[in-house]
Amino acid sequence: MPKFLHTADWQMGRAFSRFETEDGAALVEARFEAIEKLARLANEHQCDAVLVAGDVFDAQTVADRTIRRVFNATRAFTGPWVMLPGNHDAALAESVWTRARRLDAVPDNVHLALEPGVINLEPQGLALLCAPLTQRNTYSDLTEAFNNCETPEGLARVGLAHGSVQGLLPDEIDSTNPILPNRADTARLDYLALGDWHGAKQMDERTWYSGTPEPERFRNNGAGYALIVNVPGPGESPTVTPIETARYQWHQWRETLTVESDLDQLLDRLQALPEPSVVDLRLEGSVTLAGEEKLINALSVAEARFRSIQCDRSGLQLEPTDDDIAALKADGYVGEVIEHLRIRQQDDDAEVARDALAILAGLLKDRKQEASE
Amino acid sequence: MKLRRLQVEQLRQFRQPFVLDDLQPGLNLIHGPNESGKSTLVRAIRAAFFERYRTSSVDDLRPWGDSAAAPTITLDFDAQQKSWHLVKSFLQRKRCDLKIDSDSYSEDEAEEKLAELLGFQFSAKGVSKPEHWGVPGLLWVEQGTGQNIEQAVEHAGDHLKSALNSLVGEVASTGGDELIEQVKARWSDLFTPTGKPRGDYQKLEKEREEHQQEIDELQARIQKYQEQVDRLGKLTQDYERTQHERPWEEAERQLEQAKERYRQVEKLEQQQAREKETLTHLQNNQQLLRQNQEQLQSLNKKLDVRKTELDKAQRELEQAEARTPSIAGKVQEAKAAYEAAAKQVDQARLQETRSRLEQDIRRLEQHNHTLTQNLDKARQYQQELEQAREQSRQNQINAKAVKALKNTEHQLKEENIRSQTIATRLTWQLEPGVRLALNEELLEGQGERQLLEESSLVVPGVGTLGITPGGEDLASTQRKLSTLGQGLAEQMKTLGVDSVQQAEHRVVAYEAAERTLQHTRELLKSVAPVGIEQLLADQKETQSQLQKAKTELENSPVPEPGQQLQVTDVASAEAGRAQAETRLAEAEAEERKHQTELLTRRQTRDNAKSEWQQLQDEVQNPEHQKQLQKLSKELAEIEDKRARLETTLQAREQEIQQARPAILRQDIERYQRSISTLRQTQEERQRELRDIQVRLEAWGAEGLEEQRNDKVAELEQCNRRYQELDRRARALDLLLILLTEKRQALTRRLQAPLQKHLDHYLSLLFPQATLEVDEHLRPGTFTRGTELGQIAELSFGAREQMGLISRLAYADLLREAGRPTLVILDDTLVHSDTDRLDDMKRILFDAANRHQILLFTCHPEKWSDLGVPPRDIQAMKEQGSANLV
Repeated sequence: MPKFLHTADWQMGRAFSRFETEDGAALVEARFEAIEKLARLANEHQCDAVLVAGDVFDAQTVADRTIRRVFNATRAFTGPWVMLPGNHDAALAESVWTRARRLDAVPDNVHLALEPGVINLEPQGLALLCAPLTQRNTYSDLTEAFNNCETPEGLARVGLAHGSVQGLLPDEIDSTNPILPNRADTARLDYLALGDWHGAKQMDERTWYSGTPEPERFRNNGAGYALIVNVPGPGESPTVTPIETARYQWHQWRETLTVESDLDQLLDRLQALPEPSVVDLRLEGSVTLAGEEKLINALSVAEARFRSIQCDRSGLQLEPTDDDIAALKADGYVGEVIEHLRIRQQDDDAEVARDALAILAGLLKDRKQEASE
Repeated sequence: MKLRRLQVEQLRQFRQPFVLDDLQPGLNLIHGPNESGKSTLVRAIRAAFFERYRTSSVDDLRPWGDSAAAPTITLDFDAQQKSWHLVKSFLQRKRCDLKIDSDSYSEDEAEEKLAELLGFQFSAKGVSKPEHWGVPGLLWVEQGTGQNIEQAVEHAGDHLKSALNSLVGEVASTGGDELIEQVKARWSDLFTPTGKPRGDYQKLEKEREEHQQEIDELQARIQKYQEQVDRLGKLTQDYERTQHERPWEEAERQLEQAKERYRQVEKLEQQQAREKETLTHLQNNQQLLRQNQEQLQSLNKKLDVRKTELDKAQRELEQAEARTPSIAGKVQEAKAAYEAAAKQVDQARLQETRSRLEQDIRRLEQHNHTLTQNLDKARQYQQELEQAREQSRQNQINAKAVKALKNTEHQLKEENIRSQTIATRLTWQLEPGVRLALNEELLEGQGERQLLEESSLVVPGVGTLGITPGGEDLASTQRKLSTLGQGLAEQMKTLGVDSVQQAEHRVVAYEAAERTLQHTRELLKSVAPVGIEQLLADQKETQSQLQKAKTELENSPVPEPGQQLQVTDVASAEAGRAQAETRLAEAEAEERKHQTELLTRRQTRDNAKSEWQQLQDEVQNPEHQKQLQKLSKELAEIEDKRARLETTLQAREQEIQQARPAILRQDIERYQRSISTLRQTQEERQRELRDIQVRLEAWGAEGLEEQRNDKVAELEQCNRRYQELDRRARALDLLLILLTEKRQALTRRLQAPLQKHLDHYLSLLFPQATLEVDEHLRPGTFTRGTELGQIAELSFGAREQMGLISRLAYADLLREAGRPTLVILDDTLVHSDTDRLDDMKRILFDAANRHQILLFTCHPEKWSDLGVPPRDIQAMKEQGSANLV
């Protein structure tokens, strides 16, 4: 009754360029922690092995430190780890794996499946049919070899591959590294552990993508999981249990503000998000000067609360009300300028007009405050 | 505002009170010489308004040397439909009292009212300065400052603007300018004054580029790294496959085979060479034998040759011998011919001598004969000569005398004729038988006589008739005739002749004799040139010679009679002999040559004969025959051997060719090279593999992609920051532009009323000119025709005029806005020419319709046509003193 943890797409060495330096560093750190968490989970669930279905590393030439840290993070689980090269870390003549070996960073319990073939983990009752990528991209189905691959009797036949199952994934997944949809059947596999798709996704009874354990982009449904797979016996259906592993939740919201209550609702929703969140907002529509002020305040609060919040307001028009303008005491030609900018927000150059209006409003407000003081 | 009355006292030179009253609402012309107090009055008005009553800084107001003075100014004026009375005292009595209608104000409050009314400020401390003067500063022009308007406008700016605002009814925006300054300050953080990015904005732009460059570099290195990885993969594959296949081993096997084949061919070639050598020996041997055989066989032929040679020599000898007699005969013949020729020569010579002698004899005989003839002739001629000489002697006569005679005769005849003509002619025809006697001459028949002298005619029977010829000439002629007749007779007597004819005959005879003499002498000379004696001697000599030749001939031998015919002459005979001699020499030479030939041929024949004999003996030897036979046999054997050997050689040659040794050698080289190339390639692969591995290890350790990712993150952050700044920059730019534009538009609207007033005055001064007001309401750009420029660029006079019309325009503007105006001009327009001044007078007169104008001058004559009575300060002063008194 072998039981193992199925994970993939760690993408170690990736940088998060769209965030502030500090946030990016935290997100990188979270990925290392995710590995440690996987090791803990394997222990907790008394797994026999941890299978990593490709893209452990985001690139071949990551820093030595990154390589060492990845393997260090596996320490907590002393059972066998089997790591499969994916398209980002293909087993080329010189690769991150050969470097890892040269650095002597690979612990004995970590098996690197650098060549196609079977890795027998007899004590664990597992025969692992591995289809590593030995080129950056292939256009043939590497798992086809599984069909004619014999494994010792009594060991569960588990396939380990990295690529896209043909016809079942959204179109945007490129067609390199194709995998036959019913490979588990044709190769008489008890389970086919896949990597490449970053969300946890079941393809058929015996075929799963585990997805990445820690999300690293806004899109990708179901990222942040690991799968605990239990193979009762050869030929029997596996039980697969997704376990949430993500530290940060990634949210991307596209909102249009039309009436004042829209803003309030948005701010309420923002309020409801847990703290370890990464938020990306893009707002459209219009907002009054007062609304803008409220929004800016709320974002300021959110910046302190969340790991990261980014808000794109370039599509959001400023619509000062008459009260706004009266409050600003913008008379004479300054009033004309405000009116001009307001109208100009409808044009192609809306963003500049909006910013100019915001600056002007700010200056007028400051002046008002000075005056009141 | 209308100033009605001004009074000063204890002020500078006005120690006593001085009053200037009855000031008119329009123009007031106040004049006085220098030092009369014009400027002091202007100063007093200024002090009354601008200087704080409590200031101590107005010492200049104090009369000279009067420390106890309290300079006091009293002003009465109308403004805002109210009557104002101001009394201000300084220094010793600091006071200010203002009464507006019935309301009284004093001290600071009074001053505030004044400032509010006129639009100026008080100095916080000390004397009032231009920046405080506001509107009055603009309208009250001090001496010599009329052209400087900009500062004044600036100091009055706010008042002017508020006046304009109230006119146009626009709000200039509360603090709008301040706002512009704020925006501008923020804009300046990002841009240089020329609109180029600066500070962070500029730095980020540069940083972006730098990051991008770094990324590009990293990307290039990554690319190279990946290429090297691919190369490594391929090399590894190639290396391992090659190591497994070991292709050079196959090549080595093939090399061995080729070598083996080549060795076999070499063996054949060696054998071939050996046998070829044998064949050469055989061929040499054969050739030697053949030579021997040929030599032996050749003896017979030689014998034949020698026989032929012998025969030929014999024959030639015989031929030569046969020719001997004919050659000897020829010599004989030649000898005979020569002797004959020699004889002939002797005969010819003899003949020649004889004929010469004979010739001499003939010649001498001839000569002798000639001499004899000549001698005869000479004797004859001698005789004739004697005769001629005699003749000549006989007839000798003087030819000249004859000639004279003839002449005389002639003259006589002529005289006769003449006498005849003058003579008396007497003709007669007498009857037959009648006779007459004339001068005793009987006349009968008929006739005629010329009578020269007295004649008498006797007629028989009748008597005698005397006839006397008439005329004088007749007498002279008669004398002449007689003279001539005498001369003639005399001459004839001298000559010894009887008549002239005789004389003439003798002359002819003489001359003929002379000629004959001459001729005969010549003839004689021709036959005996030197005389007859010589001729005789010659004859004798010739005769002796002749005798000698005859003797000689008789003594010479007579030629042989037979041969006499052949003899020609000596020359040809000698030629014939020479010819014969030559022929003889030739014949003899031929004979000698023949003898030599004969000897040679005989020798040749003897030699040939002995050689032939010798060979004949040899050939006849039996040993010789035997040798010949043996040779033939040997030759046959060798030929057989050679043929067999050649067949073998040919067969083997073919075998060698089929094996193609050259190609085999090439194969060997090719295989060797292939092996070396294959091994080398593999070694190189190994080397490159090591190199790439080392390189990749080094590069891999740098974590290029992770570095690149970090750099990308940095770039993106930089980009974000830049975008933020850029957005802000663009927004500020837009805002600044908009604010400026709107403000300018507003200014333009505000300027319009001022411009209107300005245009009004300008058209009076410079028709068709324009003067634009700038945003600070200052006169700015001036155009006149094609001229374009700033006020400051005009001449001093023009600037002063422009300054004045601008001030009047401001005054109009203020008045329109309901503000009080008072124009004070202290000795203004002193730099204007008459025409311009006229125009300015019109302008002032026009302005005086709306404003009170106080014009102070020290040149009242210039302003006499201003239409107002001038007021003389000096006079007023005196009048004032009088009043006081």
